[in-house]
Amino acid sequence: MRSSFLWRNRVLLASGALLILSLHLVSTGVHPGDLAARPESAFLELIRPIDAAFTNLTSGFSSIVNDYVDLVHVRQENAHLRIQLAQVTSDRARLAELEAENRHLGELLDLKDVLGLKSVAANVIGSDATGLSHTLILASGESDGLLPGMAVLSNQGVVGKIIAVSPHASRVLLIDDHNSALDGLDQRSRARGIVAGMVDDGVILKYSDRSQDIRDGDTVVTSGLDGIFPRGLLVGTIKSVRREGPGLFLRVQIAPAVEFKRLEQVLIMTQPPPHIDDQVKG
Amino acid sequence: MLGLAFETAIPHLISARSLIPNLIVILAVDLGLRHHGVLPAILAFAMGYATDALAGSNPGLNAFMVTMVFLVSYEISSRLLVTNAFVGATVVFFGVIATALGAIAISAGFNALGNTGSILPSLMLQAGISAIVAPMVFSILAGSKRIVGLPARTARE
Repeated sequence: MRSSFLWRNRVLLASGALLILSLHLVSTGVHPGDLAARPESAFLELIRPIDAAFTNLTSGFSSIVNDYVDLVHVRQENAHLRIQLAQVTSDRARLAELEAENRHLGELLDLKDVLGLKSVAANVIGSDATGLSHTLILASGESDGLLPGMAVLSNQGVVGKIIAVSPHASRVLLIDDHNSALDGLDQRSRARGIVAGMVDDGVILKYSDRSQDIRDGDTVVTSGLDGIFPRGLLVGTIKSVRREGPGLFLRVQIAPAVEFKRLEQVLIMTQPPPHIDDQVKG
Repeated sequence: MLGLAFETAIPHLISARSLIPNLIVILAVDLGLRHHGVLPAILAFAMGYATDALAGSNPGLNAFMVTMVFLVSYEISSRLLVTNAFVGATVVFFGVIATALGAIAISAGFNALGNTGSILPSLMLQAGISAIVAPMVFSILAGSKRIVGLPARTARE
């Protein structure tokens, strides 16, 4: 049996079958509720507490460590005072962290009031595992009312949309990912286009006609036509417009309004935006 | 899972993503070089699928790439007389680059490879760091395998 063709090539055959399965998954995609989505949700759920612990540990300790460095020079102080000072320093670092968090949440609350739609705030606890795609991991999931396709915002502007959820965690596809696309609008000229990410980290406005009057520095907002983001949310500003070369469309680069690497809290719209007609009338 | 937690939590805290070694590729190479069987192939696929749960928006993409890295490592191991840490590090170096470019080609189309010029230096740096770290990870894995009673090396070695 061991000399049979199947046994000799078992690794190749098994790997081949797994490669075909992978390609099948890539080509068909995994939809929420599919059998193939369950392991994905389980992995996300498993990674959540570890990522949250990493984030809590490092954000708290980094400020405490910095304060302790100052203490090294205070050699004359007695041990009792030093312990007290360390306690105060530790408390101060914790309070500073809480203050920053409160400020972020306050800004998100303002945004929530402006939008007038149901939404929940969530903490960012991780980023993309490979670094090739631009995604974030949030510490909130299905139990908080999150579902794939929901819009994610920050006080700076549009962040992205939810692409996967588990009971207590979720993943966000950022607007600068090369698989992301949303309907955008140049606020000044009203020229429309698709805001899409690039492989090399840029964000562009695709499919804008050459006749459109798009200029450097113009503000790009959401058009509301994609049914995910409400109309008028800030996406970014035009960085460059290239009209030369062949092709039907302009080559427009956008500087995103959101600093994705510094996001700590985000707002997820749990209620879809009203129909575009209602938004325009409103 | 710990490797994946490392890959997701650390980049969120420090901006230099390319300084973080690609542990999944290192583990897949270790499996391919030292463990010749169906179960290691399934394990490589599972690692890739777990990565898919935490990276990108194309489920199956990393599963494909990591299984491919396993298969190439296995083929190299089957054809070479000696598969030492240097061979492993070399495979890791090219594995990290091939995995990244392959993932971009499949998810964004082969035309997108033309726009990878700006990410290549950081990719090379990550591949280099992964290759440097790989022998240490291999020896840690061999040590832990010995502790739990698994064969640390292939019979041929």
